[in-house]
Amino acid sequence: MEDLLEQSALVQWRIDGELHELEVVPGASLLDVLREQVGKTGTHMGCRTGHCGACTVMIDGAVAKSCIAMAATLPRATITTIEGLTAADGTMHPIQQAFWDAAGLQCGFCAPGILLSTAELLQTNPAPNDAEIDAALAGTLCRCTGYQSIRRAVGEACVRMYPDAAGE
Amino acid sequence: MSLYPSYARPRSLQQAVDLLSGLQGGVVVIAGGQEILPSVNYGVLMPDVYVDIGGIEELIGISSVGDELVMGALTVHRDIQGHADVQRLAPLLAQSVSAMGGGWQVHNRGTIGGNIVAMHPLYDIAPSLLALQADIELIDAAGTRRLSFADLLADSSHGLGTKAILTRVFVTASPQSSWGYYKLKNTSGAYGSANAAAVLETEGEILTAIRVVIGAAADQLTLVSDALAGLTGAAYDAAAGAEIERICAQAIGTPLSDHQGDGTWRRAMAGVVARRAVEAALLPATGPDS
Ligand SMILES: Cc1cc2nc3c(=O)[nH]c(=O)nc-3n(C[C@H](O)[C@H](O)[C@H](O)COP(=O)(O)OP(=O)(O)OC[C@H]3O[C@@H](n4cnc5c(N)ncnc54)[C@H](O)[C@@H]3O)c2cc1C
Repeated sequence: MEDLLEQSALVQWRIDGELHELEVVPGASLLDVLREQVGKTGTHMGCRTGHCGACTVMIDGAVAKSCIAMAATLPRATITTIEGLTAADGTMHPIQQAFWDAAGLQCGFCAPGILLSTAELLQTNPAPNDAEIDAALAGTLCRCTGYQSIRRAVGEACVRMYPDAAGE
Repeated sequence: MSLYPSYARPRSLQQAVDLLSGLQGGVVVIAGGQEILPSVNYGVLMPDVYVDIGGIEELIGISSVGDELVMGALTVHRDIQGHADVQRLAPLLAQSVSAMGGGWQVHNRGTIGGNIVAMHPLYDIAPSLLALQADIELIDAAGTRRLSFADLLADSSHGLGTKAILTRVFVTASPQSSWGYYKLKNTSGAYGSANAAAVLETEGEILTAIRVVIGAAADQLTLVSDALAGLTGAAYDAAAGAEIERICAQAIGTPLSDHQGDGTWRRAMAGVVARRAVEAALLPATGPDS
């Protein structure tokens, strides 16, 4: 059975649409691999304890904190980073545009957590109320404490993504 | 020994158990990693071998057999929160899992097995499991066995996480009971300063059984049921609430005294959360607010 043991693991990830095959060290976090082996530095390192959410990415469509996801445990995965929200031609995602226009972010360090959690929320809920927004974004700390403007920008993003659902 | 730890991803439970039984120290089973990685990142935990159980299909999923809810150890918090079988058979569990911190990111990856095995006094799932008289199943080289969650808590030699694997969690619904969970969160961050899960039975207005489990106030869960037996046979009122508060505070032996609050206050809050959990069970529509 000891022949199952490996000194490294081979992972296949589709990161922001691009296929990568990487050799990762056991114990390395997804955050470290994304930043250091793939160069996706939009994924921020904030706390390395899982509390702040600045390192958020989507793994197979669901948000996760990349600093506490062990890379080796994800042999195959589709990973969306904050950089992957933007279209290849540089057009911002409606959520990014809404946050830009509504001044939803201040310093922007928490943007990966706030924007990707908003994306997961809006996948299934076109018109979330404040409590639902708060629950979806609870895993990300905004150190600028701009939570009111964040809520407003999420509302703006709903209007852009689901013009028909607005005003319900 | 090598500079880097090694890693294995067994494909079946049997393969995992065989592997674990052949390995010496320094082994850690990893599921969602939400507990392990923070410690690894800060050098508090330096395993020699990671055994990743994430690829073992048999450990995934929620099902129900009659009135019994069965949850695979790899079931993530998010799936428990929204699952119809959990809502129907163990809404107390759904509620306490929803009260967990960390946000969707943690709820999407953290597993019930990892939360149980971590046995952290501040965590939210264990009080509900003890209040609901849940069972767990584990497997090691000696085979598979099912035991009560209470017995697991009392057994420090279970080997979970190094020699044994927690496979499933069972909760049997009791249709005549009502339930409440109250987490007193008084600090920033995820954890409560005192948490309580209550399971009650009533006939009309009359309390016939009461079982309260308090977490986060001491380093072990505190189960209070016999001491509350004097409250059965009557309807709940303010005096009964004061009595619950007094008895449950008293039940805390040595309270925790840490950044969640000092010991004297934690003991007092143990009583308060116990009363509020009971009130939440009795008045689900209005909820506790006192
Ligand atoms: C920011 C943050 C906030 C949190 N807030 C809360 C909270 O408010 N309340 C709360 O209750 N929890 C909270 N947690 C804890 C966390 O959600 C759980 O402990 C998590 O579910 C652990 O699951 P895991 O699969 O990630 O465990 P892992 O990190 O993979 O493992 C944890 C431990 O369990 C062992 N293990 C895992 N699975 C098994 C198995 N099947 N058999 C045997 N051993 C096993 C491992 O060896 C390890 O010792 C929080 C965590 C974070 C990061």
